[in-house]
Amino acid sequence: MLKARDVTVRFGGVVAVGGMSIDVHAGEIVGLIGPNGAGKTTFINAVSGTYVPTQGTISWRDEDIVGHSPSRLARIGVGRTFQNVASLNDLTVLDVVKVGRSVHGHSRGLREFLCGSRADDEALTERLLEPLGLADHRHSPLQMLSYGHRKAVDIARALASEPDLLLLDEPVAGVAPAEAFALAGFVKQVRDLLGCAVVMVEHKMDVVMSTCDRVVVMAEGCKIFDGSGEAAQSDAEVRRVYLGD
Amino acid sequence: MSLRQIIILITVALAVMVVLPGLGRYGAYIVYVVAIASIGALALNLLIGYCGQISFCHGGLLGVGAYAAGNIGNAGQDMVVALVGAGIVTAFVSVMIGLPALRLRGLYFAISTLAAQFILEYLFRLIEPWTHGVSGLLIQPAPFFGLDLSNDRGYAAIAVGLLVMSLIAVSRLLRTDLGRRFILIRDSEIVARGMGVNVARTKLWAFAISGFLAGMSGGLLAFTSRIAAPEAFEIALSVDYVAMIIVGGLGSLPGAVIGAGFVVLLPEVAQRIGETFGAATQTAALREMVFGLLIILFLIHEPRGLNSLASRAVRRLRRTSGPLSNNKRSSASDLEMTQARL
Repeated sequence: MLKARDVTVRFGGVVAVGGMSIDVHAGEIVGLIGPNGAGKTTFINAVSGTYVPTQGTISWRDEDIVGHSPSRLARIGVGRTFQNVASLNDLTVLDVVKVGRSVHGHSRGLREFLCGSRADDEALTERLLEPLGLADHRHSPLQMLSYGHRKAVDIARALASEPDLLLLDEPVAGVAPAEAFALAGFVKQVRDLLGCAVVMVEHKMDVVMSTCDRVVVMAEGCKIFDGSGEAAQSDAEVRRVYLGD
Repeated sequence: MSLRQIIILITVALAVMVVLPGLGRYGAYIVYVVAIASIGALALNLLIGYCGQISFCHGGLLGVGAYAAGNIGNAGQDMVVALVGAGIVTAFVSVMIGLPALRLRGLYFAISTLAAQFILEYLFRLIEPWTHGVSGLLIQPAPFFGLDLSNDRGYAAIAVGLLVMSLIAVSRLLRTDLGRRFILIRDSEIVARGMGVNVARTKLWAFAISGFLAGMSGGLLAFTSRIAAPEAFEIALSVDYVAMIIVGGLGSLPGAVIGAGFVVLLPEVAQRIGETFGAATQTAALREMVFGLLIILFLIHEPRGLNSLASRAVRRLRRTSGPLSNNKRSSASDLEMTQARL
């Protein structure tokens, strides 16, 4: 499904990602881990169209997606969440989730204009907001929510477009442990339901171990390990990168 | 806008229509001047207040609408055809003016609209076959749906009707995917782009819709004043419209109407006061200064304009008079929200 080969992202003289290759298959949750500055987020940004890689190829379902804008990617089923969540003034939780849904292509603009969207609101609430514990906050402006809730909104927003590939950039960073496991559990549920592929950048190892089918470890812009979570923990190179010699 | 608000709006409009015959010519004149300005302010508020694209060429766009409607009307068409035609022509021009917004942001784009304003003013003088240059285009009264409504009361009825339709349409628009994208782009273009919103296309829609409304407003202006002349659509008019939405409230629909009423009526009131004291010329000269001062004061003390001021006053009244037990919680959270917004 997702095939990245030799992806390199340079900022001037700094090589943020240097020759990263990865394959992600449908229905798989891949944890992308590594120390700070390893290039995880940069790699996600390159896949999701925020950066254009200096070198290398990225294809999604055999289509070359290098240089595609985020809106074009959204239409072919690539969605993502952000490490830092936006603080928007006026849009409510439901509004943001609806924007997320609309980027997938089919616009319901005219129907909404004529008929309103009450029934639609209820369906979205039940499907996405209830499981994430956001149902009571659906009419709150985003900036009134706690950090954890905003993170959950970002995930709901990305899921609303029913992506086939979901890129999660530190979905549970800074979220209380109980909430973190609930979020991760929901990601797993969605994967089971939609059969989408998930790439998850995360530092919380217990969440990664319990959620991901496979772990890819990055260090200094390169992939140094690709395999199961247990194997990653005992791998000599991974231990060296994390713990030092 | 909820159904209740729509009903209130229509009731108010009907009430205005009923009162109209008793108002006299001056009263009707005030009603349509404010209503037409409100449609124009609504158009600008959609662009600036909801989509975040600062524009200083709104006066020029109203001019495009006025000339377009005038030419279509003079060709013997119905006023409805002329107004819709003016809307379409102006929407097209507005999209052209909006094209730099795909590259420029914030103040840089605002400067480009300033350039557009001057180009439009130049074109109004230049394209004589359509505009009759400096002398201005005389506009024949046109029938409205075949009816002869070319008097002050008729214009007032048309303008109020059109204003109500525009308010309902814009408020519904803001509750569609497109409207939500406008607000998202205003709050953060980078976030919008990251979420997969096609920012360029969304902005151009904002320019098109805002331009359509501006064109209709300009067209009405042309029919009611019976002339479209370049000096009526200069930069000062653009500044007036920016003043309207700042005083009324950026990103607020009632704010557009309140602001338009304020900015249009202030000179009238000033003139009355001036006449009473026999100093009409002095008070007229004060007008620009008062506007400048008001904009600065509102930006500092009440960025959300008169509308926010009014709704807070209503809330305070309700809190002090209403039964404390069941109102307490909701008004406390309202207050929190207001504070957070400020």
